[in-house]
Amino acid sequence: MSDGSLDLLDDELAKARSGERTALAVLVQAHQRAVYSLALRMLGTRDLAEDLTQDVFMQLNGNLGTIESNKHLGFWLRRVTTNRAIDQLRRRSRLQMTSLEDEQAFFSTEDDADPMLQRHLRELLADLSPPARAVLLLRYQEDLDPADIAQTLDMPINTVKSHLKRSLESMREKSVGMQSARCEDSST
Amino acid sequence: MSQEIESRMRAALRPVAPPEDFSQKLLARVIADRPTLPKPRRIFSESARPLMWWLTASLAACLILAVGVQRHLEQQRLQQSGLEARREVVEALRLTSQKLNLAYEAVKNQSTSLGDEESGV
Repeated sequence: MSDGSLDLLDDELAKARSGERTALAVLVQAHQRAVYSLALRMLGTRDLAEDLTQDVFMQLNGNLGTIESNKHLGFWLRRVTTNRAIDQLRRRSRLQMTSLEDEQAFFSTEDDADPMLQRHLRELLADLSPPARAVLLLRYQEDLDPADIAQTLDMPINTVKSHLKRSLESMREKSVGMQSARCEDSST
Repeated sequence: MSQEIESRMRAALRPVAPPEDFSQKLLARVIADRPTLPKPRRIFSESARPLMWWLTASLAACLILAVGVQRHLEQQRLQQSGLEARREVVEALRLTSQKLNLAYEAVKNQSTSLGDEESGV
């Protein structure tokens, strides 16, 4: 949900609102990556992520008239995806991260992938409460600042900041443990 | 340290693409389900059109009738007031004529009595 080619997507949104299906296809293609990634990392399995992504875009179909701009569309999609994922997770006891068949599908593998960091990140996401997980993903996947995250999740900004602080501390502890384990391995 | 962790988390959490087959299915489903724009709603259905025609015609007839009746009543009222005025004028003329007759009688009587006196002298 980057801001690139914003004007073009604003035009596509206007066309989609007036019933042009190809314009709607352009919007779906532009935003499906972010929605799917949020759903996957919130819910933990590909099947659930696909179902949620589909539901979110179907809901968009009925609400397209209320969307004012591409930026608003991004906000709306993030909000609906995270809220629906949080609701689903509250109905289940704990995230079933281990049920993901293809681990590679969970993280970006575009450049220097660190398997240890990915494992820790995965553990961290599994341990976090659904709202805290949403905060972490909106911060580091969607690159939103705390104020935007607070608005997206209807959460006080101080709660957002404390979730981020705790998540970072946890990751730091895991990283320190990881580095010391590496040092031990190299010394032996 | 924390900045390094943050940048590594950002790199690991870059959005991932959905499977290609899912992406195509999603597009097809969303586009197929896109509701077509609602056609401008007709105020009356086809079956109700003759009824509406009669209703409109009746309303127009009632309106014309009401205007005609009102004009007729207005004319009658004017005619009535004209007759009344004429009657009053006739009455006034009658009274005036009556008084003039009386005056004439009085003058006539006076002149005859004066003539008698003069001849008696």
